[in-house]
Amino acid sequence: MSDQTEFLDLMERAEHQRRARRNFIRLCGGAAAMTGGLALLSGCNDDDDGEPAPTVSPTPTPTVSDADVLNFALQLEYLEGNYYSYAVSGQGIAANLQTGAGAQGAVVTGSGDGAARAVTFTDPVVQQYAREIAFDELGHIGFLRANLGSAAVAQPAINLSGSASVTIAGATAVGAFTAAARAAGVIGATDIFDPFLNDENFLIGSYLLTDVGVTAYRGAARLISNKTFLEASAGILATECYHDGVIRSELWRRGLTVPSIYTRITQISNTRDGLDGSTENDQDIGDATTANLVPTNDGGLVLGRNAAQVLNVVYQNKAAVSSGGFFPAGLNGTIKTSQANA
Amino acid sequence: MPGSEHLIDALEARVERRHQRRDFFKTAIAGVAMGTAGLALAGRAEAQSAPSDTDILNFALNLEYLEAQFYSYAYSGEGLPAAQLTGTQTQGAVTGARKANLTDRAVIQYAREIAADEVAHVASLRQALTSAAVAQPAIDLSATIFTAAAVAAGVDLSASGGVFDPYANDDNFLIAAYIFEDVGVTAYKGGSPLLSNPDIVDAAAGILAAEAFHAGIIRGALYRRGVDVPAVWTITEQISGARDLLDGTAVSAGPPQRVADDDQGVTPVQNQFGLAANIVPTDENGIVFSRTAEQVHNIAYLTRQAATSGGFFPNGTNNPNAALRRSGAN
Repeated sequence: MSDQTEFLDLMERAEHQRRARRNFIRLCGGAAAMTGGLALLSGCNDDDDGEPAPTVSPTPTPTVSDADVLNFALQLEYLEGNYYSYAVSGQGIAANLQTGAGAQGAVVTGSGDGAARAVTFTDPVVQQYAREIAFDELGHIGFLRANLGSAAVAQPAINLSGSASVTIAGATAVGAFTAAARAAGVIGATDIFDPFLNDENFLIGSYLLTDVGVTAYRGAARLISNKTFLEASAGILATECYHDGVIRSELWRRGLTVPSIYTRITQISNTRDGLDGSTENDQDIGDATTANLVPTNDGGLVLGRNAAQVLNVVYQNKAAVSSGGFFPAGLNGTIKTSQANA
Repeated sequence: MPGSEHLIDALEARVERRHQRRDFFKTAIAGVAMGTAGLALAGRAEAQSAPSDTDILNFALNLEYLEAQFYSYAYSGEGLPAAQLTGTQTQGAVTGARKANLTDRAVIQYAREIAADEVAHVASLRQALTSAAVAQPAIDLSATIFTAAAVAAGVDLSASGGVFDPYANDDNFLIAAYIFEDVGVTAYKGGSPLLSNPDIVDAAAGILAAEAFHAGIIRGALYRRGVDVPAVWTITEQISGARDLLDGTAVSAGPPQRVADDDQGVTPVQNQFGLAANIVPTDENGIVFSRTAEQVHNIAYLTRQAATSGGFFPNGTNNPNAALRRSGAN
């Protein structure tokens, strides 16, 4: 029947969605520990792939309060807010947005090549996207802080640099963007990745961060009990997805003339997937033949991460740790430890 | 030059909107911080008909039928398979849809991917609802309906003989998609606090996120096109203005709370960093706005009145809960 064929074609045409489906089916096999509701809507009885279920040790879900979840989100916003603010203005977020409970830290910008600074945009459209996103992220920070009131956590130390060498609390480290790019194989082991260099690098840096923000809000939705916060959180999730949709489609468009973009994005995506455990919850943007602008599973649902998996990615560490990568002193609040992934 | 006058008008409208939003959020944040507004809203919602999770998912399913059929036809010339259309209440057919004449390889990719996602959303919701899923209602995707929407929005159709054909070319397809995309996002966001089962909340968040990606992609494409053809920006403002008119000017009863004039085109705006795009229709806090089921129906039915059918749904949407089939009286 031709319309059924067309339906199957639509579903099959995207290699990435096929990959996601395989993984998803595996996930359905036993991992209630992952963002659970996926199972409800997306065909766990569909065993066409026949792959064995993974051995995922079910982690008991600790009870977290709405404030814990919002404070976790706030710190991801500090990271994104500073990134986009520096990119469009050469400055981080205002001092009065950094205070709060826990240890307040500074943004480590680094110096020279790779330093956090205003991007010299050549494409005004990309610059206008960046300004809008920067503004939205500041709005998110303000909103979350206003709602958390005195419970709002301070901005932790943030490694926002692409420099080869930065000093953090007296010790020497690599700029977090360069560390991430080296780990992904996007650059050589001694090269640097400077997200503030030009339009293209800025977009890749955005992909590094915004994709993670999406999965974090996506994964947190089920944890929020207050309905007012839930709706607000859904609104922030939506905003992050608009941002990511623009960033991913802009990267894809540029890949038509600079095909290495596709390769590099795939490397970053695979690396994040390697950090956050055996489940695949990260997707690249496809290639010139087939775009993959929306990171969804077989059910058309955007992929999510739990908080610990988000920390694996931002700490750039597959082990259970409480600091590293973009957050050299870890997070403030109660959600601060990544999960142990083999 | 008429183009720049339009732009100035649009910019001024945006400034006004920002002011309104700022005022609104001063109130809203104060309310939430005191813990009074949120409770009051929640109480009001429960005092109403209190739609079940099933009702809300069925409401969403109607929208997904609409979107899936539009994108499927536009991309491939074919709609959803027959097995995906059955369910409770009256099943209807799709009329007036066809394969769009798309030539830009990026736009073709957008259409393909969004079609696949929307088709998957229909399947996902039907699977979740099992025997409670409503059938696809009659859906009118003809140029006649899109033309009515465009005319109502004040879009200049003199160059195309007074007709807006969504399948005619890349630009028209993107504009037609724009009519739908933001509506889906605001509908899911508005529905989110009404859901109770955490698994369903989680899944709805996943679909909302996909819709927001789609909207971002479509708006981003229109934004870039508008750099060379400012009329594209003007049209998005006109459509947003029309949606604002259709869905009412007052805060409606019960959550979601909304402001009078929150729909937004993609025309650039001035913010603290300089001239910025307007890809994301947000308030001052960078948060996307919401619509109630009634407001969504106002747009889908293309009417400001309380109605149970019209526009893209000539026989109305299907839902066991009558409150989720009608538009509001605005």
